[in-house]
Amino acid sequence: MEETKVVTGAWELSTFKFNVEGRGLQLMLKHMKDRKLMGIKCHQCGTVYLPGPFYCRKCHIKIDEPAEVSDHGQVMTFTIGYADVRGNPLDEPRIAPIVKLDGCDSWIMGVMQGCAPEDVHVGMRVKVQWAEETTGSLQDMQYFVPE
Amino acid sequence: MVELMRNVGIIGIGYTPVFVSKRKDVSIAEMISEAVDAGLKNTGLKPEDIDAYVFGNMATFEGVNLPHLWAAEHMRAVGKPIMRFATGGTIGMAAFHGAYYHVASGMADIAMAVTYEKHSEGDAQVGLMGIITPEVMAMLASGIDVTGQSGMGAIGGGSAGGISFQASSYLHRSGAGIEHIDAIAAMERRNAAKNPYAHLKDPEATAEKIAQTPMVSWPIRFGHICPTTDGATVCIVASEEKAAKIADKVAWVLGVANCASDATTANLIESQITDPAEQLPAIIASKKACERAGIEDPKKEIDYVEIYNGFAHQTLMYLEKIGMCEVGEAHKLLEAGELEMSGRCPVNASGGVVSTNSIGTSALNRVTECALQIMGQAGEHQVEKEVHKAMAHGWGGLMQYCTITILGDKPKKL
Ligand SMILES: [Zn+2]
Repeated sequence: MEETKVVTGAWELSTFKFNVEGRGLQLMLKHMKDRKLMGIKCHQCGTVYLPGPFYCRKCHIKIDEPAEVSDHGQVMTFTIGYADVRGNPLDEPRIAPIVKLDGCDSWIMGVMQGCAPEDVHVGMRVKVQWAEETTGSLQDMQYFVPE
Repeated sequence: MVELMRNVGIIGIGYTPVFVSKRKDVSIAEMISEAVDAGLKNTGLKPEDIDAYVFGNMATFEGVNLPHLWAAEHMRAVGKPIMRFATGGTIGMAAFHGAYYHVASGMADIAMAVTYEKHSEGDAQVGLMGIITPEVMAMLASGIDVTGQSGMGAIGGGSAGGISFQASSYLHRSGAGIEHIDAIAAMERRNAAKNPYAHLKDPEATAEKIAQTPMVSWPIRFGHICPTTDGATVCIVASEEKAAKIADKVAWVLGVANCASDATTANLIESQITDPAEQLPAIIASKKACERAGIEDPKKEIDYVEIYNGFAHQTLMYLEKIGMCEVGEAHKLLEAGELEMSGRCPVNASGGVVSTNSIGTSALNRVTECALQIMGQAGEHQVEKEVHKAMAHGWGGLMQYCTITILGDKPKKL
């Protein structure tokens, strides 16, 4: 017989404090209330990021020029989840696309509804489904739907 | 361009006797000592001959914070310099580079890279959770539904969920199909059956059999995913002068390089998502390593490749990234049988990471397998062609870090 000792423990999430009140995220959240996506553009190479970072990934310089990004875009890659993190089957397969919004160079990850898993494909046009009531949280972008 | 300071060669390799799901008979430190003993035995070296140790394993996976200190005694390293690397999937090769730098710089004449993972004593998913905790915290703080049911928090299922975005992008952009991922996975499981140090072995593996395994996260099936393995690997490197005195056969280090990029997946808050199949670090690092090794065209000059493929599509994808073929060509080489042990471009004769993944060792095993092929000591999984130059690739981090090592059968002209 194999003897196993089990030590149980809890992970106190509240002990972690991560500062994410970044300029780019704040800018984005502020405008999401009006169903508008505001990113940040690098004045040197023109790359547009959403949410905007502090510095350009390519030029390594500080950036701060606001740039509006469309809530329409196209699927760049996607997966269809059949199992959860423990390998248990999901009740419904979950479509998760990564989308390049028009006017933006970074890609954004989300979930998709209103489409059968077998119909999703790279290059597919999609748009953001906004929440009925927007509150200035990332939850305002509920999911993507086919355009 | 910085030239090599002095030549360094691999003079010895040590593996634990087996790589399996659970080694309940030994502790972490005891398991490590098995590989260290094997390395010393294979070279005839004594503990006092080793000038420095570089240790590698993944933080958090076993819940042990300082295994390099726990194991110091067991690896005969008490009183010696020890360094530890924890760079994710690339750990093993990062540790190897550390040992290489020790000797190349003249700080040591003989150095040992010691790597291990004992997954059965921990929970890799909890470890991976530790890696993405800052991301998840940031998502929670921003009001994102991290279960992925709504909002922009579509975190897939663990590592496989993350990697499926890469696989799907690769398929679309290379023209390969899932059937090619099935076929490469089957080839590597068959190769693994010939490697005594492999974990998942199936001499009868076929693409059709792999295709019957359940879909986890499209296009990744269960049969495309690496196991979690217990095992340890060591690699001993020496200066040219010492190597000449100690070893009959040496695999010489011709060039090393590493590179990091943005996080490529899940990094929603800092807006770092680019194409997860682009893998710019692999392109940059392989170019740099080739330049250092004096290789102009890897397609023509590299005889053998070991790819870090936690997931089967990565063998095909990285062959393209590191310059062993053109983009969109890897699956055609596979179809033509050229990636087999008997082929023109043999890859992962060891069975690859998809067959054996004790994470800390996985990237080092790519190097040691290349060394065995060069020294003609790979046994049953020795490839048919002569191997003069070989390339080992490591991948991991938060999916965006790459290491490359190029070995040769002759030392570089300095
Ligand atoms: Zn820029």
